[in-house]
Amino acid sequence: MDNVNPNKDGMVIPPELQHQVTVTTLDKIYNWSRSKSMWPMMFGLACCAIEMICTAASRFDIARFGMEVMRPSPRQSDVMIVSGTVTKKIVPYIVRLYNQMAEPRYVLAMGSCASGGGPFKEGYNVVPGIDKYIPVDVYVAGCPPTPEALLNGLMTLQKKVESESIATSPWYSKKSEPIPVPLLGPDLVDLKKIDLFPVQPPVENVPDVQLPSADGGAA
Amino acid sequence: MIGFGILKGLAVTLKRFFQTYLVSNKLGRKHYFTPEGIESRYQASTEGIFTIQYPEEPPVIPEEFRYIPFLLYELNSEGVREYRCTACGICAKVCPPQCIWITRQTDPTTGRPVPHPAEFTIDIDICMNCGFCAEYCPFDAIKMDHDFELASTTRVNNRYSLEQLGKPVDYYAKIRPGNYLREESARAPKKQAEAG
Repeated sequence: MDNVNPNKDGMVIPPELQHQVTVTTLDKIYNWSRSKSMWPMMFGLACCAIEMICTAASRFDIARFGMEVMRPSPRQSDVMIVSGTVTKKIVPYIVRLYNQMAEPRYVLAMGSCASGGGPFKEGYNVVPGIDKYIPVDVYVAGCPPTPEALLNGLMTLQKKVESESIATSPWYSKKSEPIPVPLLGPDLVDLKKIDLFPVQPPVENVPDVQLPSADGGAA
Repeated sequence: MIGFGILKGLAVTLKRFFQTYLVSNKLGRKHYFTPEGIESRYQASTEGIFTIQYPEEPPVIPEEFRYIPFLLYELNSEGVREYRCTACGICAKVCPPQCIWITRQTDPTTGRPVPHPAEFTIDIDICMNCGFCAEYCPFDAIKMDHDFELASTTRVNNRYSLEQLGKPVDYYAKIRPGNYLREESARAPKKQAEAG
């Protein structure tokens, strides 16, 4: 890993004071500490999850980026890796998990299905991209992305985090960022509003049907 | 004995842990950040740690590895890209997730179609890397790429245009030398027949 220059951009430190004095900004320390310990949420949806698990294993080892602590709780995680096909059944839970995550929170759409629906984009049961429901920070293409591609996506996310500033961050300002509510659009069925199983009125005066008896012939 | 399996598993981890130091002592700096070191750590017989430290150490990619398709072009004498694609649309028809959009050029004077693509779009966020387009293309114009570093922060950037998809034939010869030689030798008699 290359050494991070902790000094403020454009700050000239005299040679005799180098490695002893650092002049930096709060933003830089804040973003440095945040970006080097992004904790992903332990949450997999489909085949991309296999690659995500593989990324955490020894060959690829996201511990090198300070991301090895896969949190099973949204309260403790910083980044949600939406790894796999998002079906209409799981969308409300993904949005709910996202809403439960503490700010600052990030979303990485891993693979074609999470980014744009992939091969199921016109399917009856699949959402064409999770970005219609929650804000996505990084899109990783691939079907599924190789572990290296996921690492590349996480590094892109780190770069994005490092470019942010406390002064403009929405999570410390008075107005919080709008909480996305899952929109049950035209192709999503709102189960509360339709009568899937309308109650049939009781049918009266139906003659008893004679069932065939056990020994063959009708009674 | 209850728990013997756990002890056996922990012994494997411990063995790897000590082997890492032994291998590092034996091979020194040569074991890391060098092509030979990466190659040796890819083998099943490797000892010690076998992590490939991805951003610094490029992964070993086999020839048939496939990611997103790209379009082959040759530069003509004026330095203008001449795509091999004839806009026949076979790739768009066979594409299972339907992520390819092609429009054919028309001759501005006569209004007749010209066998060149005017627009060629692939949505890499829909592409499922199956390789059917490369398999079915009769002109060897579309091939599967090895580049996997495609993460972006916006969705619209992932709709690749003709310019973004185009890559020179030399690049294809570099990433897939075996396939390139086989295809070129198959094309050679046809080219000769056209010329002579």
